[in-house]
Amino acid sequence: MASQDRDPDELFEIRTNFYIGNYQQCVNEAQKIKVPQHLQTEKDLLMYRSYIAQKKYGVVLDEISKQVSQEELLAVRLLAEYLSNESKRESILHELDNKMGGNVKNSFCLLMAGYMYYLQENYESTLKVIHNADSLECCALAIQALLKLDRLDLARKELKRMTELDEDSVITQLATAWINISTGGEKLQEAFYIYQELSDKHTATPLLLNGQAVCHIGQGKYEEAQSVLQEALDRDSNNPDTLINFIVLSQNTGKAVEVSNRYLSQMKDSYANHPYIKDLTQKTAELDRLARGYQPSVAS
Amino acid sequence: MSLTFHPKRSWVLASLHSGVIQLWDYRMKTLLDKFDEHDGPVRGIHFHNAQPLFVSGGDDYKIKVGWLSVWNYKQRRCLFTLLGHLDYIRTTFFHHEYPWIISASDDQTIRIWNWQSRQCVCVMTGHNHYVMCAQFHPSEDLVVSASLDQTVRVWDISGNKNVYSSPDTIQSQIQRTTGTPDLFGQADAVVKHVLEGHDRGVNWATFHSTLPLIVTAADDRVVKLWRMNESKAWEVDTCRGHYNNVSCVIFHPRQDLILSNGEDKSIRVWDMTKRVAINTFRRENDRFWVLAMHPTLNLFAAGHDNGMVVFKLERERPVYAVVGNIVYYVKDKHLRKLEIVTSKDVPLMTLRSGPRAPYFSMSYNPAENAILLTTRVPSQLDNSIYDLYVVPKESSESTSQNPDEGRRSSGLNAVWVARNRFAVLDKSHVILIKNNKNEITKKIQLPNCDEIFYAGTGLLLIREQDHVTLYDAQQKRSLASVRITKAKYAIWSNDMSYVSLLSKHQLVICNRKLEQLCMIQENVPLKSGAWDDSGVFIYTTSNHIKYALLNGDHGIIRTLDLPIYITKVKGNSVFCLDREVRPRLLTIDPTEFKFKLALVNRKYDEVLHMVRTAKLVGQSIIAYLQKKGYPEVALHFVKDEKTRFGLALECGNIDIALEAARALDDKRCWEKLGETALMQGNHQIVEMSYQRTKNFDKLAFLYLITGNLEKLRKMMKIAEVRKDVSGQFQIAMLLGDVDERVKLLKQCNQKSMAYVMAATHGLDEEAESLKQVLETSQDTLPEINTKAELLQPPCPIAQQESNWPLLAISKGFFEGAMIKSGQTGSTSGAGLTTQVQTAFTPNVTVDETVNTGGDWADGDAEMLLDEDGNRETATNGDDTNEKGEGWGDDINLDLPADLDTSAGANVGTDDDQEGFFVAPTKGQSVPQLWVNNSKLPVDHILAGSFESAMRLLNDQVGIVEFEEYKQLFIQTYSRAKTAYTALPSLPSIFAYPLRNWRDATVKNYLPSIGVKLEELVSRLQLAYRLTTNGKFSEAVEKFRSILLSVPLLIVDTRQDVSEATQLIEICREYIIGLQMSMAKKDLQGANVEKRSCELAAYFTHCNLQPVHKIMTLKSALNQAFKLKNYKTASSFAKRLLELGPTPDVAQQTRKVLSVCEKNPVDEQPMNYDEHNPFDICAASYVPIYRGKPVTKCPLSGACYLPEFKGQLCRVTRATEIGKECLGLRISMAQFR
Repeated sequence: MASQDRDPDELFEIRTNFYIGNYQQCVNEAQKIKVPQHLQTEKDLLMYRSYIAQKKYGVVLDEISKQVSQEELLAVRLLAEYLSNESKRESILHELDNKMGGNVKNSFCLLMAGYMYYLQENYESTLKVIHNADSLECCALAIQALLKLDRLDLARKELKRMTELDEDSVITQLATAWINISTGGEKLQEAFYIYQELSDKHTATPLLLNGQAVCHIGQGKYEEAQSVLQEALDRDSNNPDTLINFIVLSQNTGKAVEVSNRYLSQMKDSYANHPYIKDLTQKTAELDRLARGYQPSVAS
Repeated sequence: MSLTFHPKRSWVLASLHSGVIQLWDYRMKTLLDKFDEHDGPVRGIHFHNAQPLFVSGGDDYKIKVGWLSVWNYKQRRCLFTLLGHLDYIRTTFFHHEYPWIISASDDQTIRIWNWQSRQCVCVMTGHNHYVMCAQFHPSEDLVVSASLDQTVRVWDISGNKNVYSSPDTIQSQIQRTTGTPDLFGQADAVVKHVLEGHDRGVNWATFHSTLPLIVTAADDRVVKLWRMNESKAWEVDTCRGHYNNVSCVIFHPRQDLILSNGEDKSIRVWDMTKRVAINTFRRENDRFWVLAMHPTLNLFAAGHDNGMVVFKLERERPVYAVVGNIVYYVKDKHLRKLEIVTSKDVPLMTLRSGPRAPYFSMSYNPAENAILLTTRVPSQLDNSIYDLYVVPKESSESTSQNPDEGRRSSGLNAVWVARNRFAVLDKSHVILIKNNKNEITKKIQLPNCDEIFYAGTGLLLIREQDHVTLYDAQQKRSLASVRITKAKYAIWSNDMSYVSLLSKHQLVICNRKLEQLCMIQENVPLKSGAWDDSGVFIYTTSNHIKYALLNGDHGIIRTLDLPIYITKVKGNSVFCLDREVRPRLLTIDPTEFKFKLALVNRKYDEVLHMVRTAKLVGQSIIAYLQKKGYPEVALHFVKDEKTRFGLALECGNIDIALEAARALDDKRCWEKLGETALMQGNHQIVEMSYQRTKNFDKLAFLYLITGNLEKLRKMMKIAEVRKDVSGQFQIAMLLGDVDERVKLLKQCNQKSMAYVMAATHGLDEEAESLKQVLETSQDTLPEINTKAELLQPPCPIAQQESNWPLLAISKGFFEGAMIKSGQTGSTSGAGLTTQVQTAFTPNVTVDETVNTGGDWADGDAEMLLDEDGNRETATNGDDTNEKGEGWGDDINLDLPADLDTSAGANVGTDDDQEGFFVAPTKGQSVPQLWVNNSKLPVDHILAGSFESAMRLLNDQVGIVEFEEYKQLFIQTYSRAKTAYTALPSLPSIFAYPLRNWRDATVKNYLPSIGVKLEELVSRLQLAYRLTTNGKFSEAVEKFRSILLSVPLLIVDTRQDVSEATQLIEICREYIIGLQMSMAKKDLQGANVEKRSCELAAYFTHCNLQPVHKIMTLKSALNQAFKLKNYKTASSFAKRLLELGPTPDVAQQTRKVLSVCEKNPVDEQPMNYDEHNPFDICAASYVPIYRGKPVTKCPLSGACYLPEFKGQLCRVTRATEIGKECLGLRISMAQFR
């Protein structure tokens, strides 16, 4: 991807749509355009990953046979398998651990491995597998993992590396926005500009709109946040980020308790496995346990 | 030939060798008029600067005599001629002030004429060859002349001054009558200087307008600059460059420039101070002969062999950029900022000086607050540069002195393409993408690109010859392209969904994808434009403000005297800059385009509104509506019945057409109406129109087919009256009326036919009589066909009385609206009453809200009043605070220490395991920092540190039962973080909003505030309402939830803290009172009524809102009265009256009071002494009189008998009664 004066990037559209969360468009484009042979695999990978992002794992599993020779395709299939089947995760990871012991050099395979470790919340392993890879996406994953580890300082270093590779790439811009959000303060406005620019130029996806909303909420601009979140909700009524941000917003703007609870219930219904809900469930249990430790000294 | 500009209007007058004088409008580029009374060449021409006059100097081929003609262009005729010159006249000029004309002639003389007295005032002799040019000095009494004798002469004509006279003076009256030349001034012009230096004949000489300078042009191919003073004149310098005879030369009126042209087919521009050529304009084949300049504008005209050119030397377009309501523009080397709404106009910074050329374009970047300013040097494009400046936020002297801030590079144009990127079109037509540090990040080769325009993020509009292309600078890919010749400007709508491309004469409007929506051709140059908020493009040409709709409709809004440059359009205000870069505001009448827009968007209610209220001009709008297929709308504009009729027919509105036809009562109208009505099957109208046009045949047929035999019979009668036999017969036949037919035939003397008819139809009697008649007249009796049958027309099944079924057309919006408007007149009475009613209903609700508002307002006031009293408790709190701090530090130390050790351990193990890759240790998360930075319970809840939060709540306000808090905890915790997706398919990343995000550092991170004090306070309203409505248990719920939320508040000031305490007290009072009231239901045993009355009595001592207090007193009064406790009852009654209840309650109370006062005794003594202050035990509901032992709830402050100590508080259901606590902590201010 390191390119200053390359020919027009024929996969630009597809790639961008994928990163900004416009998955269906990415699939549509991928099926429409013809690309030279050497880009075919890359295009297919983006398409399959879009399917995965839409939770249509079956498409990927059916289409890529287990015997396929290209290791990238196998890697993406593995990810689909991992995501589709909760019970098999352990064994898949185990298999992965073994494989990673050997010398996998393909950056895409490394990325997929990093993905799975990340999903397992094993951020250290994520960083470990991708630390040799030099693709922009691996950098981005590293940044994301570092942010999870609250290592903003290291994430910044990674971003610098990314900027040197290709400053203008959409993924670099997005990564800049993530770091800006984590940095907070005045940087929130810069992050907002990045999201807004991408929305203006491409499509305002729930992903980008939520990015904007996070910046707005961070700056206490609740009215603006309300309008972008509403737009995000109109586009996808069940996006977890939108719901979470609405929970925050409705409470911070003094809406009735019921409003916030409504979003929370929706969230619980649809995304029981979302880290946010898992955390909340765990916290509720903890609360129950802790509450038992208190009682009045005299029973009435 | 010669040229002259009109001082005011956009006219230029050209005199030609053919003898024709042409008047041109240079803006419209049209020939306005011709004056062709001259036979020979006209070499001199000049407009008067104030009068509608011009002077021409012509001659005659045959007798070489020159004469001057003075013309009035308004009357379009030559007023008079001045004869005197003996040879061709070369130039003629008016004096700027005196009624004089100066002329130079081949007869070697210069003459001054008075055009009022029509006399020659002065003849100046001295040149010894043709005088090619003679001009007045623009302010002094001097004349300069140039001659083929190679000299230039400066003449003093001050002696002529006394000759200047108006026609009213007696002297001139005499002069005119006598016809003798002026007595004075004949020889009053004296040569002041003779300028020698040219080697060949001199063609032109002219004064500088302010400096003592003269410039001359001669056949020796040079231009010479001369200076003079009172005593002498000398040559300053020579401008060499022309390679043939120089015909004409002038000073630039406002800049230090000299313009010359000549037979070498070029116009040259010279720097007056350095005397070097700056610029050259060449023509292919035409030699230049003359130059003229506009008296006020920056315009010049040059005449050549085949015509003339009108030109200016440089762009006069101000550079500006508009962002929202702010216009950034450059004036006098300053960047200025104009706020359109407030019209606040301030200079922001001084700009660096650049090459000698005006700025070409400006691009503003709101995210970085930076501008790009391009300077383009005409004819030396390679020298173009751009400057990048960061704009200071506000004007301040210190920054404005610092113009070096900017970065400068070469480039033809520069525009922003993203927040941190801009594109530069460089001289080799490569597009460079640069970052904010002016470093190249990307190069794009587009060899045909000759201009770039802004097109939003990552995009550019690229001009290539006759196309404009939308280009993705990031992907290096063109996305779409549209055909437009030499586009000069691209103007985007506010939401970037449309773009207008302006070339000199073409306006193309495209959408975001650069698909052409419409194209408009203009005859005059397009200048500028801006998008209205409603999606109308308002633009200017050099003489009009116009509008364009997306569908291509366009029109003139108003005319302009001078070109302006629109910056912003808002409603009917057009904000613009003029050529002097002055911000101006013009108002326009937007009715027309608003109307058309509403039509296009089918917003018929708006249309209708405008039809009714606005004064739209008739004919053009009607024509427009008709053309665009809205005859039904046009119908409402038309008063003229004929047009109205036509329109009504066009849209098939028969009713209106009928109305109009009645008014017109024209045969052709009725015919047309009949046709249309027939097509629609509206036969009643058809009948009427046939009646009106007396079209009996058609009418009869109509009656036949509608089965209206009665009317058909009438028609027969009418036919009889009209003596229309055949018609009558025909109708009789249609009616099957044999008698009538026989009668008719008889009448017509067709007796034999009548006989046949009668016989055939079996009218024997009639036949017999006819037979006799025939026989007597000896006519042959026709044979009767025995097989003949009576032909009877079929009987109509039913008479068609009503119309044929008409197609149900839904009434158009307009018809409906129009009908309504018609009806309102008749039904206005009814409408009015309903209106009154509806107006009344909201009034009632308003009253209600006033009531509740009043309650609340009272409460508010009370709280404020109480504040003074509360100060004491606040300071009390302070003391305990200090203790708290010491204690709090312990926690602070605990947590980080813990973390550090774990982090350290991690590092160690990682090192051991990995060797080559060290996975980083976990950093401190934002929630952890919150815990470290705050001792407020809610911050800990938000951080998810429930354990410490509970500990804090327990320590501060004595919470021991968290059941009631669980929901609050989870809810609060759920708002701690926002979420966004980073990489696809991976779970969200969280961000943690901070309340101090502006100046947050790791040391002071604190979570944002959720529930605010005011919101809690406002929740009281609901609880109050529930109380009023008697829903006590629900009300208690509400009050309790408010009360319990208070410890989770965060407020700024100590005053807020005391307000929060107030809030707790309010809730407490209500909860105790309401619970006590509910406890009455559970009472059992003998003294139920007495106990109940006691509770009611205690309830009156809860500190409630007056409304509620009145209620408690009422109930207590009733109960006491029932118990015959008249003494207590009377005190309740008095207290009740003091609160000012409603009149009927008051009256009732007074009655009760008077009864009670007759017998002020309590029959059943109660545990109630109203005069002895007491608190109510919230558990046992007995009074605890002052001084008696009491224990309190640490949060609510509710009082209890000592025996309840250690139990759960009845009010909060969360706290332990009598627990030793630090007190409420809800503000960082409490820790300072």
